[in-house]
This record gives sequence, C-alpha cells and structure tokens, in this order.
Amino acid sequence: MGEEAVFRIADLRKSFGSIQVLGGVGLELHSGEVTVLMGANGAGKSTLVKVVSGVYSLDAGTMMLDGQSFNPQTPAEAIRAGVVTVHQNINDGVVAALDVATNLTLDRLNGAGASLLFNPRRIRREAKQVADRMGLTVDLGAQIPDLSLADRQMVAIARAMAHEPKVLILDEPTSSLSSAEANRLFALIDRLKQRGVAILYITHRMSDIRRLADRIVSLRDGVIAGTFEAKPLDYEGAVNAMLGRKVGLGQVAVRDGGETVFFADGLRIAEAARPFSLALGAGEVVAITGLVGVGKTALAETLFGVRAPLAGTMALDRKPYAPASPRQAIDAGVFLVAKDRAENGIVPDFNIYENMNLPFLRRISRFGVAQRRNERAIARRQIGDLGIVCRTERDDMATLSGGNQQKVMVARWMSEQARLFMLDEPFQGVDIAARRDIAAKLRASADGRATLIFVTELDEALETADRILVMSEHTIVGEHRNAGLNMERLLGEIAGQHLKGAA
Amino acid sequence: MSMRELAVRYGFLVLLVALVAYFAIAADGFASPQSAVFIFQSVAITGVLALGVTATLVVGGFDLSIGSVATTAMMAAAYVMVILEQNAFVAVIACLLIGIIVGLINGFLIVYMRVPDLLATLGMMFLLVGLQRIPTEGRSIATGMTMPDGSVAEGTFSAAFLALGRHRFDFFIQNLIPVSVVVLLVLAVAIWFFLEYTRFGRMMYAVGSNERAAQLAGAPVKAYKIWAYVISGIFASIGGILLAARLGRGDIASGNNLLLDSVAAALIGFAVLGAAKPNAFGTAVGALFVGILLQGLTMMNAPYYTQDFVKGIVLVVALVFTFALSNAGRR
Amino acid sequence: MINRRTLGKLVLGLIGATALMQAPAFAQTAPAPFDNPGNVKIALVRYLSTGDFFQAYLSGVESQAKALGVDLRVLDSRQDAALQADMVDQAIALGVNGIIIQHGLTESMKEAAQRAVDAGIKVVAFDVNVENDKIPQVEQSDRDLARLALEQAIKDNGESWKAGYVYVAGIAPLDRRNETWVEFKKKYPGIEEKAMFGTLDNPIANSVANQARSVVTANPDITVMFAPYDEFAKGVKIAVDEAGLSSSVKIYSADISTSDIAAMREPGSAWAATAATNPAVVGQVSVRALAQLIAGEDPGKQVIVPPTLITQKDLNDNDIKNMEDLSAKLPQFAHADVAMPAWMPNPNKK
Repeated sequence: MGEEAVFRIADLRKSFGSIQVLGGVGLELHSGEVTVLMGANGAGKSTLVKVVSGVYSLDAGTMMLDGQSFNPQTPAEAIRAGVVTVHQNINDGVVAALDVATNLTLDRLNGAGASLLFNPRRIRREAKQVADRMGLTVDLGAQIPDLSLADRQMVAIARAMAHEPKVLILDEPTSSLSSAEANRLFALIDRLKQRGVAILYITHRMSDIRRLADRIVSLRDGVIAGTFEAKPLDYEGAVNAMLGRKVGLGQVAVRDGGETVFFADGLRIAEAARPFSLALGAGEVVAITGLVGVGKTALAETLFGVRAPLAGTMALDRKPYAPASPRQAIDAGVFLVAKDRAENGIVPDFNIYENMNLPFLRRISRFGVAQRRNERAIARRQIGDLGIVCRTERDDMATLSGGNQQKVMVARWMSEQARLFMLDEPFQGVDIAARRDIAAKLRASADGRATLIFVTELDEALETADRILVMSEHTIVGEHRNAGLNMERLLGEIAGQHLKGAA
Repeated sequence: MSMRELAVRYGFLVLLVALVAYFAIAADGFASPQSAVFIFQSVAITGVLALGVTATLVVGGFDLSIGSVATTAMMAAAYVMVILEQNAFVAVIACLLIGIIVGLINGFLIVYMRVPDLLATLGMMFLLVGLQRIPTEGRSIATGMTMPDGSVAEGTFSAAFLALGRHRFDFFIQNLIPVSVVVLLVLAVAIWFFLEYTRFGRMMYAVGSNERAAQLAGAPVKAYKIWAYVISGIFASIGGILLAARLGRGDIASGNNLLLDSVAAALIGFAVLGAAKPNAFGTAVGALFVGILLQGLTMMNAPYYTQDFVKGIVLVVALVFTFALSNAGRR
Repeated sequence: MINRRTLGKLVLGLIGATALMQAPAFAQTAPAPFDNPGNVKIALVRYLSTGDFFQAYLSGVESQAKALGVDLRVLDSRQDAALQADMVDQAIALGVNGIIIQHGLTESMKEAAQRAVDAGIKVVAFDVNVENDKIPQVEQSDRDLARLALEQAIKDNGESWKAGYVYVAGIAPLDRRNETWVEFKKKYPGIEEKAMFGTLDNPIANSVANQARSVVTANPDITVMFAPYDEFAKGVKIAVDEAGLSSSVKIYSADISTSDIAAMREPGSAWAATAATNPAVVGQVSVRALAQLIAGEDPGKQVIVPPTLITQKDLNDNDIKNMEDLSAKLPQFAHADVAMPAWMPNPNKK
C-alpha cells in the first residue's frame, strides 16, 4: 500500500451536448487496495465507469495505466489493456443459456486465436483452473438460472478475473444481494486484494464501505468533492461531501402535526431488517431521507399496497389498514406519486387531462362513460393551481418539460382529498423553479392530511419538510424536527452510524 | 397545422376517397348502393374479427387465434345443428361460449402463466385447428354426411340461423342490407364507444401504453388484459357465426387468411386520422379500405395474386404513415 | 400434394363398406392365381390418407379386394416420403403379389417401385408418376371432368354466351381442367370470357364468394359461370344468390359432396350441373388393374376412370340427398366399366 498508483485519472471531462457530466475528475487507484466511489444519482458515477471501461470516449483529460497512456475506444480494448468492469446488472455479466464452465471461459471462445472447435473437456479443464484460482466453489456444470444471485455475481467476477486484470471495477455489486451473500463476495474481494488487483468499488451501502474501503472518494455534480484516506476513515465526512449541503436555501416555517392520521407499528419491510414504527399527523409534511437502496421505495410501496409488509400492522384514522392493491389504498385515501415518472407514471399515449384523471375516472364517469367536459374542467383547474405551462389540457405529455410533467403527475393525485399523500422522489429530473412550485403547493395544501415525501437529496428534505426521518438498512434510524436540527447527527445516521454501535 | 401533420391526419382518408372516385369511373357498376352494401358485406367477417383483435392491441397484446376461433365456431355451429340437431339459438350460444372460453384461456396463459402473447395465442391457434377436426375425424360437416361410426347426420342448418347470413333488411331499396353488415356496424359502433368513451376503454389504453403506471393508478391490470382477450374471442366467434350462416355448412379451415386480413385491417387502422395507435374507427376504415380495393380490382379483372400484392402495399404504406411520419411513432 | 387433398374433399363414398358382404361370386372361372384367391396378397402403400376423398378411396380398394377374396395389407406413410419408400421394401419382404402405390413423390418412389418390379412384383400407381413402363397409371381424368360439364353448358345454353371463369393457376388438376376450357373457347368462338377470378384463401368458398360478388356486379350480362372445383362453385353460388341473380346465371362445376348436393337442389339454385369421379370407384379400379397384371393380363399403360355428369335435374328426379343416394340411384356413378374382364367380380353388384 501507499506505493505508486497503478491507475491514474487526471482532469477527466465528458459532456453530452451542452450538459457537462464530468467536469475534471482526478482519481488514483492503488494495487491491492479498494477505493470506494460514492455519489448521488446523477453525480456522474456511471459516466465515469463507462469512460474508463471504453464505452464512452473522453472529451478531455488523461488516463494512465502502469505509467502508459490508456484511452480505450471499445470495451474490448479496455479489457485487453487490463481494466475489467463488472456492471451493476448481474445478468449482463453472465450468459444465462450456458453453464458455469462455459461462462468462465467465454471470452476465450472469441477473438483471434480461438479454436474453431468447441471442446467441452478442454473448457471444463480451463474453467476449473479459473475457479480454483479464485476459490470459487460453484459447480462448474450448473446452469446459470439455477444459481443464486450471489453465485452468479461470483461467476461474473471470476469470469472478469480470467483476464488477469490490473484494475477491476465493481459497479454496485451488492445491490441485489443479501448480507450473507454479500459476505461471500467480500471474502472474494479480500482474495483479489491479496493478488494485487486495484479495485474501484462503487456503492451506496455504508455497510459495504465500512467493511471494504481503504479509501473513499465522493463524487458530486461531476467533480470529486472529497477524498478520504486517513485512517480511521471519516465516513460522515464522505457522506457530507457526497450530499454537499448547499447553505442558505429557503427555510420552512415548521409546523407540528395534528391528530395522528397514519400509524404503523412493528413494521418490517425486508428480511433481517429491524422493525420500526411510524406516526404521521394531519397537516405536517414528513420527509424520509436516506441513501439509494435503503428501502425508501419499498416503504412507499408497502403503504400503497403494492407489496405486503413482512410483519407489523398499519392503521389509518385509527382503523386497521392493510391494502392488498393500489386500488384499495386509493379507495382508503392513500395516494402515491411514484418515482421515475417515465417508468411508473406517465401514460405516453395520453394527453394531459387523460393522464391527470387516470386514478379517479370512476368518479368522473356516469354509467361507465367518462364525462369529458367534466374531465377537462378538472384538468384546467389543476393546471391553474399548479402553474403547469402548456397550451391546452389536450397537449401531449411529450411536449412538456420535465418539471411540468412532474406537476401533472402530482396534479393527478390532487383532484381528490387524500388522507395520506406520498411522493417518492418528486423532485427527480425537475428544474429548480418547478421544484419550488411543487414544494410550495404541497405545504399549502397539507392541511387535513398527512404528507410523506421520500427523497435521497437531503436539501430537498430540508426545503420541504416539517419533520425528517432517516432510513438506513430498511429501517428508520433517526428523527429530526426541521428546526435547528443536529446536522452532524443527521449525517451520521444517513452514513449508518448506528451500525457501528451495533457491531 | 403543418403540411406534414395534415398529411398524417387526413392522408389515408383522402386516399380512400380518391380510390372510390377512381373505381367509380374505371369500373362499371362500382358506384351503386348494391355495390356499396356488398363491400360492407365482403368485409363483415374480417371486420368483426379485426375489431376484436383491436381490443387486444389496445392493451398491448396480440391475438393470433382469432382466425381459428372463427372457423372453430363455424364447425361448432354446424355440429350443434347438423349432428346434435339443435336449433339456431343453441348454436349461437355454443359459438359464443367457445369464444369466451378461448379468450379466458388466452388471458390466463398470458397474465398468470406469463406466456408471451404471440406464443400463447399461436399455441391456441394450432390447438383449435386440430380441435375442430376431432369430433368428425377431419370431415367437413354437412347435412346427410356420414359420421365416423357409419350413421348419417340428419340435422339441418335451421332457417333462423341461415337468415343471419342471408336475410336482408329494407333500406330505401328493398332487400338491401344483409344481417352481417348490420352486425358489423353495430359491433363497430359498440367497440368504438367502449374504447373511446367509457372509463374501461380508457384504462385499457392506459394498460397498453404504460402498464406500470396504470397499475399504480389503481387499475386492475390483469383483469383488463383478460377482458381484452375475452372480447377478442367473442368477436371472433361472432365472425364464425356469420361465416357458418353464409356458407351453410361446417368447413374444416385454419382461418389463417381471416387472421391475416383482420390483422392487416387493424394495423392499417393505426394510420387513420394519424392515431398511431390501435383504434376501432381506424380498424373499421382499414377493413373498408381493403374491401374497396379488392372489390374494385376484382371488378377490373385483376387476378388474385395482384390483390395480395396491393393489400401488402397498403399495409406497408399505412405502417410508414404510423411509424415514420407521425409524432407518436417517434417517441 | 395438398391441392390434391383439398380437391379430394369431394366425396363420401361408402359403397365399399355398405355394399356386398357376401362371398366372392365369379362370373367365370378366374385365371391363376385368382382360382385360389386366399393365397394372393396385395399391399396398398399410401402417401395421403386424411380427408373424405382418401377415406372413400380406401373403402373402394377394400371392397374390390374383398370381392376378389385376396388378402389386403394397408401401409400408410402419412405424408412421409422416405417412409413410403421403405414401406414398399417392407411389402416386398412380406412377399406380396402386387402393390398399389397411392400418391407420393416421383423422386422418392421411382427407385422403390423399380425394386418391386425387379423382385417380380406387379405394381400399379395411382396419381403418382413413377416413370416406369411396367407400371400402369390409374388416373381420374380432369380433362373429361371439365369436358362433361362444359358439354352440358353448351347443351343448356347454346354455343354463344358470356362466361365467368374461376381458376387458380399452378394447381395441377385445375391446370388440366383449364386446358379443356381453353380448347372449348377455341372451338366455340361464341363463348366470351368476361371475367376470370379465383383464390385459394381459406375458407375458399367465402373468399370466392366475395370475388364473385364483385364480378357479377361488374358484369351483369354473364349467364354462365364455369367453376371447375366444387369449393369455387359453392362460393359463386353464394355470390349469385346474394346478388339476386339465381335465375339468370347458371353454374357448371366439377367434383361433388353431400353438401354440394344440398346446394344444387335448393329451390331455384343456379348450380346446374357438376361432373365428378367417385373416389371409391377409383379405388376399385386400382385393385382391378393390379389383379389383371397379376393374372398376366394387360390393363393398358393408362387406366382412366371416367367421370359422371350429375345435373340438378338428375338429383331432383331421383330425390338424391347424399352421396349414398347418389351411388344407389346413379349406377354410372357407383361403377365404372374399366379394367373389367369377364372373370372380374363386381363389388357393387348385389
């Protein structure tokens, strides 16, 4: 450790059109070390990985591998030079139709010098060498679909290691693994470290970081916001650098919740997660924040009837509440503006008013026939209320900006009075003006209902909420009133400090 | 509206009018009420099937089994009347039941067994082509036929049933409009109203356009999908009833040509009024378009293979209209 | 081959199954080896077997074999060309005296047939050309079918009329029928073909009806429709009925089935006449031609089964309702005087 970096990036820049994604990134990887790269959504992590692995070419800057200039034009070139990437989607790393042995030796079947004939016995022999070297215990004759996700991940990494890389990039390798499975992966990574491989490990999971990191690099808005290598590592500092508090944004006039609208007790939403309770009062806006993948969306979906809780009870207005479908949740007055509107919200073939009235058509219809005049009147009112910029309520969704599309998604659920109004990442892909509009509208209309927003960006919680709850490892680990809150403790909770106490 | 928008929106209708005008001049007897009625009659069966498949297209699915549902319903009608010697009412009910059951099975396979729609309905198509032969060991059904056991079938197609294919209503001119045309028009208006103006139709479009969004807006997505296949099955079986009433016997047939023609009509329908999505009005116009073309070409003595060729050209042009020129196609 | 099969939906011949159960009665002492027919074995090697036509053909083969008293083996390859050739070898191994090859592909059957001939076995072929001089060919005559129907049209309508013609090129039997139509048009210049149409889109009758409807609308002066395939005729009839022209148009066709009989006999039906060969008779003729060969006689290089003309009047006069009635009441349909030496038993004679 501490010797000359094997891989060095300096002043790397990359733009798509007029949007600069990487604005001068510098990074060093040392052989036999795990460097963890942290960054919020849109910070530029995946763009960086794609430049390094040869998918994108860089606009400016230099990359040096072993003192040689490294500028791959294709992924194959990067692999030949000794930089191998295992991408986030496990199934991209293995070919499901082939068995383990063939997967492990797949890359030798292609390219110049590959034998014309497929010799199963030779494949098996070479695969065994690869597996032994990696300490891989998977049955070489097994079919990929029969393997657990962790085993598939191992195979994908072993397959990558068959190239004898100098640099291995792992993009969120534990995002779909259980903690026991993750431990097997960590053991494998330890072995790779001993073999002198330089590893760039991309993750949001604090538990991974605590277990593996020799060095942490925080990426924010396309630049390195902080590098942490002094032992013991400053985890809170890394999270802080990644989330990057911008000071001086509008403070909210904090209100306290009225009578309890929603109450959950002993709720457990993931295997091996600690149960938690949750109470939401009328008139208050509560934000749940936490890193990506800590279970925010899982909680929203549990409350909305998309999935059932593993344990615990819920009550709405002191009556038992256990929705089996979104329909039942909606009928009970629990609404959700789902995250990722293109995926989960917008019906692309529908215009604005058809999109807006999707959940409440039944109430607008008479004898099953949708009353269009009524529909359009409701839509016009919402357009006025939220300040949606469009020509008419019959415009195509595709003609709207991201912010206005998101306003339509919010408006969809505001034509009826909610008991519990949830918004999952409502500010994703939304410009600052629309974000203010939506937040203001949420606060202005909050009376008489409980409002719950799920946000990864701490700023968004601080700007919008009366109360902030912190999620980590699929449970709620902290609660703060959004007035004079203890920022250090908040960041510590986001960074998973409670884990340290538990360990 | 720009030139291109105008072309996308009205191009196909203009083409239709131009075609009618051309044939009216070029082919003697084309421009007459009888000829117009006949065009409707010639597309009645494929039109009904096409309206049914439109429902599955709306929810983002597809139904390859409609042709064989129609011919199976035709065989069932013949079997019920000729061999079981039942009346027209029983025959019609039997056909509709077949349509409903096939639709439910298709829907079940696609929604719950998660078999891709094309594959599930392809399997159903083969199954039905085989099934319709089993009761008579591959024989076509006609009065007086000899059964596998050597007995002779004595039943006949009831007059009431045959009237579905042969009766004509007076409309300004005596005996002008056949029952099948009335059925087509009624079903076309019904499915058009259902898809465009009811909340059920709207939700079906939502399911087809973004299933996840529809689900999160509280729509019972699975139920809507199954309903779409049931509608398709019922419409196909109604097509089979009309077919049996026209032919007056039960012919072994795969119905593949019925399938292809009706799918073509539904796809041509995408281009009508620049909808760029499945819609009942477009489907009806698409079916009519094909009917007018074939009527005109046959009247001008064009051989059958040129008709397939022209059908293909129309379909390709319609698809270009839909996907290359309209905004919706480029999303 | 499919087209043969489609055309073959013609007939329900049940003659064989219902006719004659009595012991073979010989009009004259049969030549060896038929003086002791129990020792004679013959084989029917089939390529096609599903459908009404083939069922009826088989029943004809069975009835004639029974009348002769010979031992019949049926080998069915179910449209497997290679298997059919193997089955010929199987029949050779069985030690049969004669083989009937029913359909098949020239390429696959030519050598197998030659092997049988080399083994001293007599062979006849039905509807497949095995390119062998020693093997007689049993055929139904498509040209005669067309000729009979057209002669009736001339008889009914004189030598000068305007015609609609239903034809799809490229289907062997339809092409042969077409040759006759072309000759007739040459022979009778008064016949004017106003329109030619046709399609094999299934259901065929429905598709042809749509076309015919356009044709009669465009050409209201057509008085004769020549539709030399019963599915075509059925479609034309639907169109003519729908256009209300049943009284002014007459339809002449080929082939027949029970449902065709019903259609021809409808009151005021435009379907005037059809010409048809009985597939059961073809089966009987196949066996008789083979028996002649085995007995050392020469049935001729080509054994042609003549068709029968069936008019609407015949059907009405005799009150014929289905195929059984047709065989019972039109003797020329039930029996063909082909390959009938004096010693040959007639399976249809009671």
